[in-house]
Amino acid sequence: MALFEARGIHKRFGHQVVLERIDLGFESGQLSGIMGPNGAGKTTCFNVLTGQYKPDRGQVVLAGEDITGLAPNTIARKGIARSFQIMSLFDEYSALENLLIALPEVRERGFTMMNRLDSDSAAADRASTVLARVGLAGRERQRAGDLAYGERRALEIGVALAAEPRLLFLDEPTSGLSAKAIAGLAELVQGLKRDYSIVVIEHDMQFLFGLADTISVIHWGQVIASGAPEALRENKWVRRSMLGGKA
Amino acid sequence: MASGESVAARWVSRQMVLLLVVLATLPLWIESIGLYPYLGVEIAIWMIYGLGFNLLLGYSGLPSFGHGAFFGIGAYAFGLFQLRVFESLFLGIACAVTAAFVAGAIVACFLSHRRGIYFALMTIAFGQVFWFISIKWHTLTGGEDGLLNIPRPAFELGVASAGLGSNTALFYFVLVVLAVVLVALWRLVHSPFGKVLQAIRQNEVRARFVGYNVWLFKWTVFAISAAIAGLAGSLFSMAQQSAYPDVMSLHASGIIVMMTLIGGGFVSFWGPVIGVAVYFLARDVLGAVTETWLLWFGLIFVLAVLFKPEGIAGAWQQHVGSGDRRSLARRAVAGFLSAGRK
Amino acid sequence: MSHVLPHLLNGLSLGLLFALIALGFMLIVGVMELINLAHGSLFALGAYFAMVIISPDLAWLGAAGEAWAVLPLPVRYGLAVFLAPVLVAIVGMGLELCMRRTYGKKAEYGLLLTFGAALVIEETIRLVWGPSEQYLQVPQAISGAFLFAGLIYSKYKLYAALFAVGAIAAVWLFLERTPYGAIIKAGAHDSEMVRALGINLTRLRLLVFGLGAGLAGFAGIVMTPIWGLRPHVGIDAVIPAFLIIVLGGVGSFWGAVIGGILVGLAVGFTGAYASELSLLSMYLLLIAVVTFRARGLLGRKSGLEA
Repeated sequence: MALFEARGIHKRFGHQVVLERIDLGFESGQLSGIMGPNGAGKTTCFNVLTGQYKPDRGQVVLAGEDITGLAPNTIARKGIARSFQIMSLFDEYSALENLLIALPEVRERGFTMMNRLDSDSAAADRASTVLARVGLAGRERQRAGDLAYGERRALEIGVALAAEPRLLFLDEPTSGLSAKAIAGLAELVQGLKRDYSIVVIEHDMQFLFGLADTISVIHWGQVIASGAPEALRENKWVRRSMLGGKA
Repeated sequence: MASGESVAARWVSRQMVLLLVVLATLPLWIESIGLYPYLGVEIAIWMIYGLGFNLLLGYSGLPSFGHGAFFGIGAYAFGLFQLRVFESLFLGIACAVTAAFVAGAIVACFLSHRRGIYFALMTIAFGQVFWFISIKWHTLTGGEDGLLNIPRPAFELGVASAGLGSNTALFYFVLVVLAVVLVALWRLVHSPFGKVLQAIRQNEVRARFVGYNVWLFKWTVFAISAAIAGLAGSLFSMAQQSAYPDVMSLHASGIIVMMTLIGGGFVSFWGPVIGVAVYFLARDVLGAVTETWLLWFGLIFVLAVLFKPEGIAGAWQQHVGSGDRRSLARRAVAGFLSAGRK
Repeated sequence: MSHVLPHLLNGLSLGLLFALIALGFMLIVGVMELINLAHGSLFALGAYFAMVIISPDLAWLGAAGEAWAVLPLPVRYGLAVFLAPVLVAIVGMGLELCMRRTYGKKAEYGLLLTFGAALVIEETIRLVWGPSEQYLQVPQAISGAFLFAGLIYSKYKLYAALFAVGAIAAVWLFLERTPYGAIIKAGAHDSEMVRALGINLTRLRLLVFGLGAGLAGFAGIVMTPIWGLRPHVGIDAVIPAFLIIVLGGVGSFWGAVIGGILVGLAVGFTGAYASELSLLSMYLLLIAVVTFRARGLLGRKSGLEA
């Protein structure tokens, strides 16, 4: 059984159907890609899977447990972490504090009111480790809002990582990055693959084809194809979709 | 990080000691600068109120325009306890804090899923409801006149006991309460809970996706803040020996917002402390010169919103941060102010 | 039936007046997504301006003042009804100019600024005209009482309701017949769309704030002969305005009108049967509506939600 499954997801906003009968399955230990042109419904799909929106119909299942329609914080606690395409950090906090807040052990003590968080050196060490992993060693004290764009992208992933998820969702991680930075990011994600099950939304075909074990292509709110990258390269629907949506 | 600090330093900061020392000596010098001892009581009470309020405004980013309601509820609850049940200092205060906490908890159920302007709107509406009830429920609250002749019960703790009849005695009692509130809130804002509140203020959506139940955090902080307002209210009813609807009006609720913002509550733990001191000094010093001092205070507030929403504390931090010549005194003040937030 | 009718009429006329109070508020919220807490102070300011125009302080004006004072009351009143709202509109535009510094920042700053402005205006009123209750004269032709169906009614309330209907109609014409109106109706907070339509957003905001403030001032002139004129009369205007906008839906003209009438009826009827609770009913209604239907009866999706 797949680690995570979406079965027959429908989502509409008003009269506009955004997702129609979406079926997806993500295996444990793999990197799965979701691909499609802009406006195809990828991000909406992500938002439904991670709890931002409730689907109108269909089921979301994590390791055999139905998590359809649960609140984002509940889903997060069940082991799903996500990054955001539009950067979503705690800008006034230092890079380290961004990660501290996301650590599961801090989360469990969220209602502790009389112990100082900054005297918890074990948590700080763990946050530093995550920071180093996303390539931000030495940036601990810097305000997240003052970091360079590429560093903020890395921290965006770091916040998701700090939660030690069973399944990591990355929403357009290459968005706005230079070719060189994308190569660095690919290396980072390649490394993460060893330890995490990952789902990546991407419109950068090259990035995704190089990393993913399986890819699903979404167009017009439907999954039009899915399979191994090599197989998809030959699929005429995929080619048409991606060429059409190249802009 | 505080790993190297002594145990004492984790509970108390230098700023706290300085503030408490200045306040503790206040009865000795206040009359020599042309003011009066009762002012100290008011300032200390409002500092408690402001510190609790800033937990909402500054730390959680929740602008409440109806907080006077909880201050008032505390005042009435304390007064009613003394007049209707029996005279007891600590039970009266406990009753006031509980009443304000419960009222805050109920109100918070309605507005913890609201943000920004809708949140403010709801707090105004609830504030008005409580204010209205306090005016109309004559048999309980005494209507527009309020509760009169509330006694100041004696302080009794084991063998120690002291009357609080004089303003100086009351002042020192309020000061002790202020010290306790300061230490507790200082711990609270640095605790995981306080850090999560600030995270929610900065990015509510992300906080949710990291796994925090934002609603529950907002609910909790609102109720805590209301309880502290109730505590301040109970002290105020002791100081005034009465409780009346004025403190619950939209006007009064707005004043605490103004104090907190002018002082710099958005950027510093000490913002409300500074704001309260400035407000009361302005009231008595400007007020002695002109009857329309509130007009000038309002203008200062407008200018602060326009040009310096970080308030006095923020202005100091920037002033010192940008200057080349950093005198020791300036750096000390800046350190003082920025210590509230990292 | 006979004992319900007067309350119905009373509530209806009160409702029209509430709708009038809410209109200016609605325009500003609809276009700028800004809750104007100074609305009540502008409301009061309008009434004070009118009072000065109708019965100026002769000592200050000398001969010119005396010449003015001998004019018949209806002439002075008529002029005040036009001139005072214009003056308030100018004050409102001044406020908008200050407001500009807060655009693009957190919405709370706008709210705090209007709160500060409300305090400043109210204190200025207190400074200039004193804290005590004043009286806004109205011409004899529209004051007094009349008899209808065996019951006595205040003539002024009838005329006040007619004034309200007139102003509501004027705003409707503005919204329907001018390009600005079309923009406002389309949801003008979307600045990109406004620019695409070739309208200067800066000017639109100034105009809308002026118009909203002017309407607040006009409402103040119409309302204060009924409510009385004191520096803090504005708070009595702000709360119903909130309620009506929330009830009717942000940015909806008919929402404001219908919301106003509903609130008027609610207050009128509770006033008749449980007079102690008439204002309380308003606050409770506000809480109920915001809790259960933040978008209101006719509202569109708004950034103010959530």
